[in-house]
Amino acid sequence: MAKIACFVEKYNFSDSAEVDALQNFQLVAGRMGHEFSFMFKENISEIPKYNAVFIRATTDPLNTSYVVSKMAWELGLNVVDDPKSIQICGNKIHLYSLFEKFNIPHIPTIFLNKDDFNHKRILEIFELFGRPVVIKAPYTSFSKYVEKVACETSFRDIAKKFFRKSDVLVVQKFMPTSFDWRVGVLNGEVLYVCKYMMRKGRWKHGAKLRGKPRFIWGRTVSLRKEHAPLELREIALKSCEIIGQGLYGVDIKEVDGDYIVVEANDNPSIYAGYEDCRKRDIYEKIIAYLAN
Amino acid sequence: MLVVSNIDLTTNVPVMKPSTFLHSSIRDLVLNVNNDYRYMKIGYYVSLHAETLGNSVVPASEDIIDVNRTPILLLRASKAGIPTLPYLVTDSVKQIIASFDFPVIVFPVNPFSYNGFKIAKNRSALYRAFKSLSMNYKYAVCAQPLLGEMISFKSIFGKCELDQSVREISEKVYKIFKIPIYRLHVQRVKGKDYLCGLHPLKVEEILQTDVKTISEEILQALQGDCLG
Repeated sequence: MAKIACFVEKYNFSDSAEVDALQNFQLVAGRMGHEFSFMFKENISEIPKYNAVFIRATTDPLNTSYVVSKMAWELGLNVVDDPKSIQICGNKIHLYSLFEKFNIPHIPTIFLNKDDFNHKRILEIFELFGRPVVIKAPYTSFSKYVEKVACETSFRDIAKKFFRKSDVLVVQKFMPTSFDWRVGVLNGEVLYVCKYMMRKGRWKHGAKLRGKPRFIWGRTVSLRKEHAPLELREIALKSCEIIGQGLYGVDIKEVDGDYIVVEANDNPSIYAGYEDCRKRDIYEKIIAYLAN
Repeated sequence: MLVVSNIDLTTNVPVMKPSTFLHSSIRDLVLNVNNDYRYMKIGYYVSLHAETLGNSVVPASEDIIDVNRTPILLLRASKAGIPTLPYLVTDSVKQIIASFDFPVIVFPVNPFSYNGFKIAKNRSALYRAFKSLSMNYKYAVCAQPLLGEMISFKSIFGKCELDQSVREISEKVYKIFKIPIYRLHVQRVKGKDYLCGLHPLKVEEILQTDVKTISEEILQALQGDCLG
């Protein structure tokens, strides 16, 4: 029997579909003979009592979740998400550098550092990618800190904002599609496949409506992984291979029959009735991996 | 060995500016000398770029992240035999009060604060320190008991101008994490020193004498083509 700690924060319990998924993990773990407890920030010192840590709070090298992951890792526990995966996926400069190095087909990308942030460089970028372009802060997650800009003024405004935290930013070609494929991968195997649809008139899966505080999301269409194109699954696995052996969610665009990786994320969303719709065994597989 | 630095060194050794290095694809052992090794700052990206190119680099990007997270710094340091005091990562003031007697030292564990720590001598001071360092109860903090006196000093390639006991800690921290320049916080309790934390230096904190020491260290490293 393994003792599994699931590191969560209060916001993980604000969406009923996420709460249901967390309860599913707990139920399945119990059924498999394992102990599954939720661990909050105040219980971090209890990490050594467990055999494995499963992180569901948002990961970033600057968040407490990284401290939890690294502490568990240093103590020799099984960890999802492991610190290396958080370092790579939590910083898009790191991620795209590896995509470039290992020839993973990805959205045309350049890095802009603070010292190169000038009129000439902005014009060069517009000439290279056309207008608009997408500016991403390296710490982007859940469609946040990703903005589309079409003129120099907006470019400067957004870049200045993102430069406050990072000295290097990602600038990408704008490639709108009606959906992004999301391929869930665990330990080098495809776990689930779905489509993250963009809302009408939007270019991101998640977007904030003007005047509303909350993010709204496009639909999630789940399909059997066996029915997903082979090339799609292969590209997803290839992009995870360069990161590690953990749990990832790879976003892929399909453009003119080609598959282009948008991002590979650690800590992928698992919401009951969405990602698990066609594959109820994803809970068993993740628990088995943690308990191994 | 290639030296990449944002500091104007006094040595005649060729030094590349970080922004130039980020555009290059040079394959060599890289010594990344920067006053500020915070995550997502240029010092971090130089090490990351060197690693992506397949180069050996000092310091490693992972170590840069780890030293700036106090609980990880303490965990890795104590595993390597550096004396540390008990610490607690928590988002609860009550838990700190239950665990340690006053005074306590509080370090931030949030994405925004890097500078310093706060010492709380009583309950209300702890609440104030906690509120500030947890950014209004949003993030966790790392608390340690204050049992002696705090000593903060600059460490350059693991060297400092203090007594033997502190020097040993400074050298060991450099041996593990290989961060060339930083400010180290040590607690002296009954004549014994314990590592407490580490912070980046501001560029204006690097004095001419420090530049000279840094330059000499780099020269030595180049002559031996090794980095400690």
